[in-house]
Amino acid sequence: MPETLVELRDLTIRFGGISALSHVTFRAGPSELVGIIGPNGAGKTTLFNVMSGIAPPSAGAISFEGIDLTGRPAHVFNRIGVARTFQTARVFRNLSVRENVQFGLRFPWRRGGRAADAQADTDRLLERLGLINQARALAGSLPPTRQRLLEIAMALATNPRLLLLDEVAAGLTQSEAEGVASLIRSIRQERNISVIWIEHNVVTLMRAVDRVMVLHHGEVLADGLPNEVAQDRAVIDAYLGETAE
Amino acid sequence: MRTATWIISAALIVCLAALPSVASTFVLSLTLSIAMYAGLALSWSMFSGATGYVALSTSAFFGLGAYTCAILLGSWPWPIVVAGGAVAAALSALILGLCVLHLRGTYFAILTFGVSELLKNLIMYVEKSEFGTVGRLMMGAPSLSVIYWTVLALAVLAAVIYWLVARSDFGAALRAIGSDEGRASTLGLNVRNAKIAGFCLSAIIPGAIGAAMSVRWTYIEPQIVFNPFIVFQTVLVATIGGPTRLIGPILGAVVFGLLQETLRLNFANYYLIFLGVLLILSVLYVPNGLVSLFSSNRARPLKRASSKHA
Amino acid sequence: MAALFASPSLFADLIVNGLLIGGLYAIIAMGLNLQYGMLRILNIAHGEFLMIGAFITYTLKVATGASPLWFLPVSAAAMFIFGLLLHATIFRRLSAISPNLDVMEEKSLIVGFGLLFILQNAAVLIWGADLHGYDFMTGSLHFGGVVFTANRLLVLVLAVLFSAGLILGLRFTLLGRAIRAMVQAPLGAMLVGIDTGTLHPLCFGLGLALAGVSGSLLSMIYLISPDMGTPYLITALIVITLGGLGSLTGSMIGGVLLGLVESFGVYFTDPSLKILLSYSVFVLVLLFRPRGLFAR
Repeated sequence: MPETLVELRDLTIRFGGISALSHVTFRAGPSELVGIIGPNGAGKTTLFNVMSGIAPPSAGAISFEGIDLTGRPAHVFNRIGVARTFQTARVFRNLSVRENVQFGLRFPWRRGGRAADAQADTDRLLERLGLINQARALAGSLPPTRQRLLEIAMALATNPRLLLLDEVAAGLTQSEAEGVASLIRSIRQERNISVIWIEHNVVTLMRAVDRVMVLHHGEVLADGLPNEVAQDRAVIDAYLGETAE
Repeated sequence: MRTATWIISAALIVCLAALPSVASTFVLSLTLSIAMYAGLALSWSMFSGATGYVALSTSAFFGLGAYTCAILLGSWPWPIVVAGGAVAAALSALILGLCVLHLRGTYFAILTFGVSELLKNLIMYVEKSEFGTVGRLMMGAPSLSVIYWTVLALAVLAAVIYWLVARSDFGAALRAIGSDEGRASTLGLNVRNAKIAGFCLSAIIPGAIGAAMSVRWTYIEPQIVFNPFIVFQTVLVATIGGPTRLIGPILGAVVFGLLQETLRLNFANYYLIFLGVLLILSVLYVPNGLVSLFSSNRARPLKRASSKHA
Repeated sequence: MAALFASPSLFADLIVNGLLIGGLYAIIAMGLNLQYGMLRILNIAHGEFLMIGAFITYTLKVATGASPLWFLPVSAAAMFIFGLLLHATIFRRLSAISPNLDVMEEKSLIVGFGLLFILQNAAVLIWGADLHGYDFMTGSLHFGGVVFTANRLLVLVLAVLFSAGLILGLRFTLLGRAIRAMVQAPLGAMLVGIDTGTLHPLCFGLGLALAGVSGSLLSMIYLISPDMGTPYLITALIVITLGGLGSLTGSMIGGVLLGLVESFGVYFTDPSLKILLSYSVFVLVLLFRPRGLFAR
């Protein structure tokens, strides 16, 4: 069992009278690529909200490398090493693409180095994500699919050890989605970070990840290797049966 | 900034500084007023223009500065008196910010507006209990020239602070808060601290200006110095000029200063109403201020637009 | 403190006072809640409409000599129409030029501020800055050894009737249900076909009408002045927070609670500290129960 990077213990979160997440226990290790699938409303984005500090849990705990982060604000999560993207890309629309990426790099505690380094690092990230040609464009003018790439760059700029990607392949053709999948895999490789990836494109995801977790009605339905999960009876009945392979 | 701009600005400041020796009292007073509006509007824009948090606390800061001056005047040298006003205002901003800056914009606006009323009542209560009377005599006030130079210096300082903040990481943080506060927080920004710091910074100049201007009255009382017209002027000047660029509040101050004189002379009774109409029309029809009419609508520097929450 | 309980008259007076002012707070808050819950804009000039409602009643009463109760509906109607006009001219344009809700909120704050300024100064121009008032039902009534002023009791009864009537109306009429649907679940309501084009201006007008009613009632028991509006705006906001945004019943209960707290609190401290008291209550609520006292 590899050492644990992030751990959710018996986590429950309630809104009004509804449990969006119910007794979720989940672990991810360093440099692991984990996929999360499940029908709409299963609680996947809520899970990310808890894991990035946006939503405090109603019960249970979350820790990162043994440090308890339950109830801490979002910026603490980020400074400890968690970065995320959003289902609908949230970029700073009226700043340029470059300024968006630079935001995560700019602050003193993160840089530790010089302004010139920040410039170089920004450019490197932009190149890596294929955005260098649009560096000066307004972030809001980019099409949604490119905004999602920008979000990945912004998240990476904060130098995370855990990257949470929320449906970054949505709206892409199969081959484009495969491209994103391989981008994710190589990012994981290059930076030696863990990535947790929510995706509806189950086919692409299952082929790319080390491990898959299935959420249904806010509960963990299955958690294991992709081919095991694909054959899990409960999962097929609940979810995979609907998305024909 | 380009060298030409530096030179022109410096020359302008020198000319303005020389004004007391050549100008009439009327011109001096008018320029003094314009400098005051500029200083107040620049401080306001630095925070509210960037973050989108409409702060209506300028009257409170101004009034606190004025009262600090009333207390310190005569016993302390002028620079200390003015600085005292700044400190008092900044402290109040800290307390207020800690209490209300975690709230969404509307609550923040209304609560900051009410603080002026709160302070007014509080001070009146304290004065009545302690001294039996309300109000203070301003003894040992400096000359008009000194007041003028002080306020001019404060306006220049406000511009410098605005400029430094705008091009710093801190300024980027404030603009990010204005664009998408939640997003900024997931990228590692301690949003609350940034807002409080920005708010306190925006209180310094109004507090100092309040201290400096208070001596133009021979007698002050809470009713006079905690006057909502001050914050109204500030918001008006910033809005018609354009709060997201340095030149905006300055332009707005000049336009407003001249307009105010004309209006007050010709429409003494109605001009306040006219100003209110002007503010509304400005928001509805010239949303980025007069500056936007002169420049092309590029993203430099930044209007904020996007969503603050998920 | 002992004196309080030794004198039932004083105690009853404070309670009645608290309920009375609380009932008025409730009406103002409900008006504000309707606007905010429905349109997501908080009209910072709301207090000024209360003030104008008060002055309309005052002027007509003094001019005609008739009972101010006749002019209650006049104030309400005038404010309602004013609300429709404002919505059509200003707020509709605001929502057209704002790219998103936050920007619209910010702009409507500034616009509201302008309105506040216009209305207050117009009032000073028309009526002068001093306090005004008229006498209405100033006789005393005696109930079981306790003395009340007739006008306060009447206003209390009217305030209660209004609040209750409003809540019932919203619950049981078709229009009321549509409004509540829009406030609680805007997307769903639109999907079902409820028309925001008519509901928005209607709610805006209704909100202002309620402010006018409160002002009118206030004029019957207190002195009025052009600057009376702002403190009520702030208390209305506090009440909405106490009761929970969007909950009209919450506003009613919150209003009454705040009224009682103020009534007793001010007695033990000083009337000029009323606003400090309100602010303290507000800050405490926001720190500990930001969703309101009744949130689950």
